[in-house]
Amino acid sequence: MARLKFLCDSDRCIECNACVTACKNEHEVPWGINRRRVVTLNDGRPGERSISMACMHCTDAPCAAVCPVSCFYGTADALVLHDKDLCIGCGYCFYACPFGAPQYPRIGNFGGRGKMDKCTYCAGGPQQDNTPVEYLQYGSNRIAEGKLPLCAEMCSTKALLAGDGDIIASIYRERVQQRGYGSGAWGWRTAYKQELSA
Amino acid sequence: MARETDRDGRAPARRGFLGALGLAAVAGPAAAIEAEGGTGGLPPQKESEAEKRKPRYRETDHVRAFYRTNRY
Repeated sequence: MARLKFLCDSDRCIECNACVTACKNEHEVPWGINRRRVVTLNDGRPGERSISMACMHCTDAPCAAVCPVSCFYGTADALVLHDKDLCIGCGYCFYACPFGAPQYPRIGNFGGRGKMDKCTYCAGGPQQDNTPVEYLQYGSNRIAEGKLPLCAEMCSTKALLAGDGDIIASIYRERVQQRGYGSGAWGWRTAYKQELSA
Repeated sequence: MARETDRDGRAPARRGFLGALGLAAVAGPAAAIEAEGGTGGLPPQKESEAEKRKPRYRETDHVRAFYRTNRY
């Protein structure tokens, strides 16, 4: 069975933020929340590198380990999804996540943050597939339509890969062999306990 | 000492106001949390425990085209 993963080829990312925009538009993500964002390291200096990051749908996800109401669940293809009807907005998952993926709709009085929101790998949530209520709570469910996350499909330089982990790893290896260099699959050791060498 | 009650033996109305204020302080944020990420009035259509863990990925022609074009 496929193990779904994200892979950002940072040698190709040009920091255009199309993935961020596509995600916000596709899911009508509320103001103030970014399920995906582009982080630039060494900005303006030699060796500058940009990485598109979101929830990596970790193996043995730390967010799920710390959630006091067990609102996270894993699918058979290893996506880490959550149930907003159970979430109490405590923020533990935000502190546990090595990628800063969990987001909250607001900061209010009395510590109220609202229900946590994060990347769903365009796979919706625990509501029936492609129903209005699923769209309202979790956004579009492209996986149920036989597609892949829009951020990856929109990427103009094809830096962001999504899909079966074995297939996208082989695509990345081919690229590294052809161009002769590669900085590795960013985040894979942390998220998937796996190194990707060409 | 004289107690602060009116002639009918009821507490003054201002105490009711203070009670309502306290309730609003607690219930307001709780209601707001419910509204955020709620179903917006739509009826919930929850999947069963088995349904929500089922594999969602399908290798369709669309997905294969994505893999193919990413090899260029």
